[in-house]
Amino acid sequence: MSEATPSTNGLAADHEREPENWEALARRAARRSGEEADQQELVEFLTCDLAGAPYALPVDRVREIVRMRPLTSVPRTPDWLLGVITLRGEVVQVLDLRMCLGLPVSDLGRRTRIVVLHAEDGEVSGLLVDGVRSVLRTDESAICASSLTDVGAVSEMCRNGDEFVSIVDLDHVLESHTDA
Amino acid sequence: MAARRKRSKQTKAQREFVSEAEEILDRLCTDLAELQSQREEGDGDVDPDVVNSAFRSAHSLKGLAGMVGHDAMAELAHRLEDVLDGVRMSRVGLDSPALPIVDQIIALSTELLASGIESSGSDVERVAEVLARLDVALTDSPVDESKPEPELDIDPSMLAALTEYEEHRLGENVRKGRHLSLVETNFELASFEEGLSELSTAIREVGEVVSTLPSPGAAPESQLRFSLLAATTVAADQLLERLDFPDTTVRIVLEGSGPDVVSEQEAGRAEVSESVPLAPEASDFESLKSVSDSVRVDIRKLDELMTLVGELVIVRGSVAAIANRLTHDGATQRIGAELAKVHKQLDRKLKELQTGVLEVRMVPLRQVFQKLSRVARRLERDLGKRVELDFVGGDTELDKLIVEELVDPLVHLIRNAIDHAIEPADERHAAGKPEVGAISVVASQRGNHVVIEIRDDGRGIDASVVRQHAEASGLIAAETVLSDKEVLSLVFEPGFSTRSEVSETSGRGVGMDVVRSNVTRLGGMVDLDSRVGRGTVTTLTLPITLAIVQALLVETGGQRFAIPLNSVLETLLVDEASIQRSEGRELLNLRGEPLPLRRLSDEFGLESVPSEGGLCAVVLGLGELRMGLLVDALIGQQDAVIKPIQGPVRQVRGIAGATEIGDEGAVLVLDVSSFVEDTVRRKDAA
Repeated sequence: MSEATPSTNGLAADHEREPENWEALARRAARRSGEEADQQELVEFLTCDLAGAPYALPVDRVREIVRMRPLTSVPRTPDWLLGVITLRGEVVQVLDLRMCLGLPVSDLGRRTRIVVLHAEDGEVSGLLVDGVRSVLRTDESAICASSLTDVGAVSEMCRNGDEFVSIVDLDHVLESHTDA
Repeated sequence: MAARRKRSKQTKAQREFVSEAEEILDRLCTDLAELQSQREEGDGDVDPDVVNSAFRSAHSLKGLAGMVGHDAMAELAHRLEDVLDGVRMSRVGLDSPALPIVDQIIALSTELLASGIESSGSDVERVAEVLARLDVALTDSPVDESKPEPELDIDPSMLAALTEYEEHRLGENVRKGRHLSLVETNFELASFEEGLSELSTAIREVGEVVSTLPSPGAAPESQLRFSLLAATTVAADQLLERLDFPDTTVRIVLEGSGPDVVSEQEAGRAEVSESVPLAPEASDFESLKSVSDSVRVDIRKLDELMTLVGELVIVRGSVAAIANRLTHDGATQRIGAELAKVHKQLDRKLKELQTGVLEVRMVPLRQVFQKLSRVARRLERDLGKRVELDFVGGDTELDKLIVEELVDPLVHLIRNAIDHAIEPADERHAAGKPEVGAISVVASQRGNHVVIEIRDDGRGIDASVVRQHAEASGLIAAETVLSDKEVLSLVFEPGFSTRSEVSETSGRGVGMDVVRSNVTRLGGMVDLDSRVGRGTVTTLTLPITLAIVQALLVETGGQRFAIPLNSVLETLLVDEASIQRSEGRELLNLRGEPLPLRRLSDEFGLESVPSEGGLCAVVLGLGELRMGLLVDALIGQQDAVIKPIQGPVRQVRGIAGATEIGDEGAVLVLDVSSFVEDTVRRKDAA
């Protein structure tokens, strides 16, 4: 982590590092994106695993990544609202991103993480993912429309080497999951 | 949501600008309202200090808006300043058509503030539009330039030192025939500000201070000499008697002659003071003094402090637990007792700290009342109705956040009252009521709650009409038996009040459901009482603060919940056998009274696991209403900082927020008012 090479591969090599480092990683990447984005048209994503497939979340929306912690379930809410956690004095809702995207749900594992977002209107929210992979830096040309037409939350994909990563439209996810 | 989004993106400087500008606008409104009422009560004569204060507010706003680059606001403030300068110089009369536009400018400014620093195209258009109207109004208003300047028998060097405004005031006072005197006195250097303000206040009791001028040189060391040019209704010697200050002289500058002047002596014409050297910048003196000793604090900082205090309270709980463990172990009993003693001290100091922080957050309701009276004034004009508005209990204090959230519901209630409840004058006359409608807003503190009553003497709400509409819109079945009071509470139902024809006939406007949801979100309650033809009373009951509450921890289905203790009347152990059923509802015989019951496990879809002793009933009380909530077990009592639950799901009925307790993570806090309401409503519907 110390050399912080600004290339996708360099960051991807940190794949198996301790998760606490991901927070720093995300933050550093967010900082860099702020400095350079306007010159190079680069976009950065946090890639994570959901039901065995790679998904990408815009890095600048990610505030931090935390391990699983005690969840308090909230009655009278749909299943995708897993519950609430406390985070340094804040009480934050955690959504199961897999359920939100209509993906199959498996048990929580060692790599399960909560991606904490700063939402646009100032309310923090958490998304449960099966695991966090890396930060993917790419330019606009690698982004293409999604091959699927009926999934509102994933309208674009991003080429990463041979692999296609689905880009999650966070606003769509958050706005379509507001009703208790 | 759009507004919130904008707000969160504001920088600290912008937030400070907004809060300062809001304060200035509020002050401006208060001054203008004061002027309006002075004009109506008196003979068109108003207190020049109030006009001047309004002018200064506009001036400050202009500077402030210019500093942060809010061009639209700066333009508005600039024109405001012009008009108010005109008023204080008597170029613009208080009856000028420009004055209602001044109100509109202030309303627009307030709106602009709410939407942040950036002004959109439509904002710019609206600014241009209102300013164009101002131009028209100013051209229409009669400019009175016929008043001749009176000949003043005053030393020219003194006249030269007066500002244009002071000169104008001097002229006005001479025209009114008041006595002009020059009050000279010495003050200690260390305390001259206080001395001056006392002296000025004393003079203002019988007139006005036209100008305050320091006169250097003439005073002994460590003292300052001042000359105050006073225009009073009493003559110089009487003025001197009233001024209980050492070393003070009063010289006659001009003897009064007007009708309001109490002249009973024939003092010889004293000579005008020998050319007193005067400092030209002295006119700024007033404004220098007006710096208050209060500090403006961002509410968010107070929230952070509150959170810290809350966390300390939680730590204190852990310390208590450790002390308790130690005292119960023979080996560590002594040290445990010592720790328990220290804990007691900590507890005491912490309570003081808590109270201190809470007090800082408290603000008087007066601010809201001022906003209400502004809204009412505008509505009166728009609707052509006459309403006497009476406010009582403006000193009643509430948490700043609650006060903010109260503005909308209260404005709504006042608007409803004027628009729908108060009848037109002819109708009132026919009904034998005074033609001017009466609305009163009365606030008072009762224990941990503040009660606000909004009363009107309008047409009242006809329960039978409400019932008819509720049945027609499918809210209740035709055979449902309801008391009049229960029928009235139907106006708070979301499905009820959206129909405009209901508002016409029932005397209530739309949006009562919004009023209720706003108030319950604050942990409060709305109650309605009305008599046809006599009027309506709407009562809001609100907690004093949301920040820290004592909570009762309960458990149901293995999950813990917190219930704010201020709504808990008592707790009972309940045997399943003692629970009675009536019309499908469960109830308990509580000392001869039926207590409706709800099971928390049913409400929240949890599997109840009662302990051996049976269930526990938590008796909840809100206003007049009572209910019992059945839970598996009582855990204990705890201080809780109620936090909002952040995330995309906006509101869950029955849950007011969450609190962090020790290392258990989040514990949900129940919204007592919604449980009580739901229970009462279900009783109605059954």
